Order: sequence, then C-alpha cells, then structure tokens
Amino acid sequence: MALLKVQGLTKRFGGLAANNDISLEVPEGSLFAVIGPNGAGKTTFFNMISGFLSSTAGSIEFAGRDVTKVPQHEIAAMGLVRTFQLVQLFKGMSVAENVEVGCHLATKGGVLASLLRPSWFRKQEREVRERAHELLEFVGLDYHSDLDAELLPYGQQRLLEVARALASKPKLLLLDEPAAGLNTQETEGLAHIIQKINAQGTTVLLIEHDVALVTRIAHRIAVLDFGKKIAEGTPDEIKAHPEVIAAYLGVEEVENA
Amino acid sequence: MPSVAELSQSLVNGVGIGLIYGLIAIGFSVIYNASGIVNFAQGVFVMLGGMFAHTLLTSYGIPIWLSAIISTVLVAAVGVLVQIFVINPMWRRNAPLFAIILATLAVQLLIEQVIILTLGDRPRTYPEFTAGGPLKIGTVAIPYQFFWVLGVGALLVFALTQFFNRTRMGRALRACAQNREAAALLGIPVERMLIVAFALSAGLGAVAGILITPTQYTAYLIGTPFGINGFIAAIIGGFGSPVAGLVGGVLLGVIQSEAIVFFGAGFRNIISLTVLLVVLMYFPKGLFGGLEKKA
Amino acid sequence: MTSPVIISAKPPAGAAKFASRFDRFQVGLLVVAALLTCAALAYGGFLLTVMQLAMIYAIFCIGLNFFMGYTGQASFGQNAFACVGGYGSAILTVQYGWEPLPALLASMAVSGFFALIIGYPTLRLRGHYLAMATFSLGLITYDISIQWTSVTQGYMGYAGIPPMGIGNWTVESERWKLVTLAVLVAFGFWLSLRMRDSRFGRGLRAISGSENGAAALGVRVPRFKLIAFVIAALYASAAGSLFAYTIGFISPEVYGPAMSIMTFTMLFVGGVGTIVGPIIGAVVTSLLQEVVRGSGHYQDVAYAIVLLVTLIYAPKGISALGALFRRKKEEA
Repeated sequence: MALLKVQGLTKRFGGLAANNDISLEVPEGSLFAVIGPNGAGKTTFFNMISGFLSSTAGSIEFAGRDVTKVPQHEIAAMGLVRTFQLVQLFKGMSVAENVEVGCHLATKGGVLASLLRPSWFRKQEREVRERAHELLEFVGLDYHSDLDAELLPYGQQRLLEVARALASKPKLLLLDEPAAGLNTQETEGLAHIIQKINAQGTTVLLIEHDVALVTRIAHRIAVLDFGKKIAEGTPDEIKAHPEVIAAYLGVEEVENA
Repeated sequence: MPSVAELSQSLVNGVGIGLIYGLIAIGFSVIYNASGIVNFAQGVFVMLGGMFAHTLLTSYGIPIWLSAIISTVLVAAVGVLVQIFVINPMWRRNAPLFAIILATLAVQLLIEQVIILTLGDRPRTYPEFTAGGPLKIGTVAIPYQFFWVLGVGALLVFALTQFFNRTRMGRALRACAQNREAAALLGIPVERMLIVAFALSAGLGAVAGILITPTQYTAYLIGTPFGINGFIAAIIGGFGSPVAGLVGGVLLGVIQSEAIVFFGAGFRNIISLTVLLVVLMYFPKGLFGGLEKKA
Repeated sequence: MTSPVIISAKPPAGAAKFASRFDRFQVGLLVVAALLTCAALAYGGFLLTVMQLAMIYAIFCIGLNFFMGYTGQASFGQNAFACVGGYGSAILTVQYGWEPLPALLASMAVSGFFALIIGYPTLRLRGHYLAMATFSLGLITYDISIQWTSVTQGYMGYAGIPPMGIGNWTVESERWKLVTLAVLVAFGFWLSLRMRDSRFGRGLRAISGSENGAAALGVRVPRFKLIAFVIAALYASAAGSLFAYTIGFISPEVYGPAMSIMTFTMLFVGGVGTIVGPIIGAVVTSLLQEVVRGSGHYQDVAYAIVLLVTLIYAPKGISALGALFRRKKEEA
C-alpha cells in the first residue's frame, strides 16, 4: 500500500516550472529515494510534500488522506516529518533538549499543564527525557547530550537532526540531503542509521545528491531532472537507465556504477 | 461635514508636512538600503537640525541661511559618530537585528536627554525664511515657508537622484544596497559607504527639521513622532527611490491632515498607526514596490 | 539499540557542559541579589526604594524574557501593558474602592485580553516591521494615558493609591513592601521556570532557534508566539500594578517609552534568554540610580550609555559571563 501518493505535482515560480507534473508512490515500509542533479527541483518537491510550500497543481495524498492544502503543522501531526538540507538546529538549547523538542507531537500539554504539573505530565516529561536519551544513543550522540547543540561538529549536527525528527515517531521520515557535507566515514555511519530506521518500520523518503549512497541503500529510486521525473525503478534499473546516465550519471562521478 | 475650504486648507497643510515626512523617509531608506538597518533614531536628526539652527541663530546671531548650513553639517557629523561608535561595532559582529534597533533607540534617548541637559526642554521656533505671507488663494492660506519646503524638497530629491545615478559614490551605495557581499568583492569599501549613508541620512533629517521649525516648533521630544511618521512614509514608498519616499511622505501627510479634520488633532498618532498597520498588512512591499529584502 | 561507530573523537575531558538550567555562576548572582535585598532591609533608606523598584522591574523583565529571550521575538511596546496594569489598579482601587489584589488580577485579565487581540494581527509581522508596530503600540498607549483625561487624569496622574494587602492586612512599612515584592518575584520566577522547562517552554525556545525547524516538528509557531506575548503582557501588567501599590502614585511618565528602554537595559545587562538574567539585570541596573543620583535626565543618560555599552561589548549580559570564563579556561 502506498503511504505517500503524489500525482501531477507542479510548482511554478513565475514562468519557471521548478516541478513539472511529478507523480510517484512511496510504498509503506520502503526506503525510497529521489535523486537528481543540483537544481533538479528536489527540494521544491520536498517543500511541497511537507507543506512548507503550496503547489501550483497536482495532489498529495498521505496515509489515505488528501493533504495538498493541509497546513504544515497538521501534516507533521499526521506523521510526515522532515529534516532540512541546511541544518535547522535549535541554537541555545542542549543536544538533549533539541531531541526533546522532537517529542512535541508525540506528547501533549500546554501552559496550564506545565504550571500545574499533574502526575501524567510529570510522567510524560520523564518519558521525553528517556526517549531523547535512547535516540541519542541510537545515533551515537549520547555522551554529548548536555552540550550546546551549536557546538557539535557539522556531521553530528545532521545526526542530531535525524534523531530529533525520529523523536516525533513519524510514519514517513523525509530526509533532505542528509549526507551533504559529510565525509566518507560519516556518510557510511549515516547510511547505516537510515537503514536501521527503516528496518524498525519507519518509511523513509530520501533526497540525495550522493548517487553511490542511494543506489546502495534505497529500495526504489525516482530521478528528477529539470523539474521532471525522468525515471523510476530499483537501484539496478536506475543504474542501467539510459536517460538517467545521460542526464545525471554521465555528468557525475559514479563510484559504484 | 467639513467645508471644501477646510478640506483644501488641510490639503495644503498635509502636503507641507508630508514633504517633511518624505525627506525623513528618504533618510530611512538611504541607511536601510546601504546596510539593512532601520535607524530608529532618525527622528532625532530632525530635532537636532531645528535645535542647532535655532541656537546658532539666536545665541550667536548667525544669519538663518548660514545657520541652516552649519546645522546640517553638524547633524551629519552626529550621524557619522553614531555610525562609527554604535552601529559599526555591532554590524561587524553580526549583532541580531533587534539588538541594533534597540541600540538606535538608546542613541535617541541619549541624545534627547543630552539636549535637555544642555539646551533645555523649552520648545523653540524662529521666523519663516521669507517674511510676509501667507499667500491667499480664495480662502486657502499658503504660508511662504510652504514654498521653501516644496522647493528644497524637490531640489534635494533631484540632487539625490543625480547622486545615486551619476556619481561613482552614489553608484557604489546602490551596489551595497543590491548585494553587500558582491559590492565588497568588487572592492567597494562597504563600511565607508555606511558612514556616507549615515551622514547623508542625518543631513536630510536636519534639513527637514530646519524647514519645519518655523511653521511648528522644535523641542527635544519631536524626534519620536517625526521618526515614526518618516518610517511610515518610507514603508508606503517602499524604501525604493528618493521620489517614492517623497511621494510616500506626501500621501501620509495628506491622509493625516484630512483625517484630523474629521476626527480631531488628538487622533494624529492613532491615524498614523492605522495607516502603518494597513500598509504593513496589505502592501508589505510598499505602494510602489521597491527593494524586497529580508527584514 | 547499539550505536554504530561513526564518531571517532571522544569529547575532550572537561568539555563545556551547556548550562541547560543554572550554572554555579548564575546561582552565585542570585545569592548576591538576595544579599542586596537583605542589606536593603537592614540599612533601609534610599536603597530600600531602589530594591523595591528592582523587584517590580524584575517581574516585568521575567515576562519580557519569555517573549524576547526564549521565543526570540521583539516587542518594544510592553510598557503599554504595564500602563494598563498600573492605571487599571489605580482606577479600580481609588475610584471604585476595590481591594488591591482583585484589582491587580482584573487588570492582568484586561492586559492579557488586549495582548491577545493586538498580538494576533501584529505578530504576523517580522523584523523591523514588528519592532515598529510594537513600538507604536507603546507610544499610542502613552498618548492615550495623557489625552484621555476623564479616565487617566492626564499629566496629573493618580495619587493616594492604597498599598498591597488582603482584607485588613495591608503592607504599610517600606521594609515589608520589599519583602512582599521579593516573595512575588520568587513566585513569578518559579512560575517562569515551570513554564520554561516543559513541552511548552521547549517549543518556545525552539522557535527562537529555528522557526522552520520548530514548525517541521509540529510546533504551532504563530500560536506559541502569541501565548508568549500574552505571558509577557501579564507579567508587565502585574509589574505596572505593583508599581502603583508600592509608590502610591502613577503618571503617564512612569509607563512612557523610557520604561521600555530601561527594562531593555535590564534584560540585556542581565542576559537576554538566560534564566536568571531578568532578575540580575533588574537589580544591577537599578543600583545605577544609587550611583547616578542627580536628576532623572542624568539617570536616563546613564541607562542609555549602559545599554549601548552592553549591546556593543557584552551582548550576552552578565549571566553569560560564567560560561565565558569556563570557555576561556578550556582554551588555556
């Protein structure tokens, strides 16, 4: 069953079509990747799916519901949670607190609850702290938990963002170029984590620039070029696809092809 | 219902005060375009212009035209000092926007209080530049000072337009406005340009203050209302060209003075604020477009 | 769950632990503030008034810190809500013979309501526009407090406002006033801590860190900003009322734009966004009045200069100095 179903999605900025008639289906439980050269419209695509940008035409269906015009926070509340290409850490908060914010959707209670602190609220706060710790352990940042998040090295900031998104217990995790700016070793670790997240039952939609990484871990890949989907298939099919090779792989250095 | 005569008289008054707002608005835009900073102390330059001119005129007996020139130069110097000692250190450090705004407000408070302590808190005024008047057209009276405001305003806008389009320095300032990083890469001394912008902007404020003092008065506290109205005019004009700033000012002045006819003078600030909110909500880029920038 | 080895470097020994709550330096500062309060109680005199005002402004700043510090937004017009609080309490007690406490609470309710309806459209603005809109809000309120003489008595202001108290028990002596205010500061501070260290408070601080990031995690950014604005208004209103009860006299000048500048000075000197900053800043800055006696004009000059120096050279304020020392030590 498709968890995310995109049909004819189009975005025009003035006369320029950043995304043109893109359709794809992300099956539940899969690790799906969208690749394409720089400026292919990947991030625009992501921004529309996550509700940060309105679409010009087309429809987005998530978990059986039409979310094309649904506001961003509601989409997130439905379980579609994203990370950003440029890391959006919460400056001035510790590493652990960053992940605790991630638990926002999975928890409840506002000003009144925070003032009165009923027992369910205290229990929840405890669970939030435990969950943050678990997730930090999961991505290997647990011994940094009291550090100001800003002070983390770049590669670890990316992992923190992934942990933070996981804290909201998403059904579909959208990762926007998570490997950008990482070295080989860090990319390796990240790939491992993404696979583990997926193995634990979270559907992952990944935008990536790093073709080698994607062809290795993704179940299925869609290729964008100049705002259009030019191919979709399994990693092997994509590697063999003539148009893809022409449009993308031909220009890029491919290590494992 | 107010009479036609009343309405046309307030139209004249509105254009007069609006030109003043326009000059202040241009001052806001000059700094904003060069640096991305809105100088909330802009109104203080207006106050200083009038105060200095008055002091030079009455205490030292210097003729008004010379007092005006000296006062303008002095206020421009104050602008430069503010830039060098307050804005630049914060700007270099990439201080957050609100901290810089707050600093300009602190500068305003500081200058106001220093003026009270040195020149006193008494309102002052001096005669119009040309004696006689007002000119009567039917029932409408137009003070001679109005023509001074109109003439100087038009001249300054013309001169500024020439400056921004024709001179090297003006073009460099415009380059800073479009893209500071690129301007720096092209070898334009951005910080020096900021000093120029502050001098220019303070000078413009001073001229506005010198021109308006004969028809109203000047006192330590006039900076805030003039600053706010100038800012609103700049928003209406869209922080773009000098002409847009002046037109924005005239529009605000006319709206304000016509509305006073209907609602009474006590509502002056409330009217301005309403105009501000309407423009902000519905025309976030100003009525005439202009530069769109991350605020 | 086992973690894959991706981070080769272990953290350096004695790495800077981020002060997620207090660090020792900040606790030290609080102790100093408490000692000053005790000194004022012991010696009395002018220091007593200074500390009373410090406590009142501390309450104002704790609220302001919610909006400016934690949420990272700016309001240059919070004095408007102090004005509503002050005049509300003065009018209700003097004209209508209300008890001080219900008058304070009623004024807070009115302020909160105003904050809600004003904040809803205004907080959509950003940057300079937000700054100017809120600044105008403060000015308009100031104008109204002068012009609307039938209600506010204009420049005359209100005199003979009763002191705090409940029923027959009133706080008459200056020393007890300070004690009461200190207790109220502690209470307000405690409430602020509870709100800060919770799901709600984390949401606010996330907004200041990255609005997009917070939104992506489901934080309803506009609503959270509005709530923070209302909280700040409630604290400001309470401070305004307490001023009226403590001094017994209010006039438009008390809640004018200068109040905005003064409270900003306090917040920035103490450390905007830090936990103890509002209290420390209010106490330290109020002591300036002790140093610069003279006329109010000299005090304003002093405030402006202190604010400028802080903004330029110590933008994180006193409370952050502890972290600075620690970092220096590490580098050495």
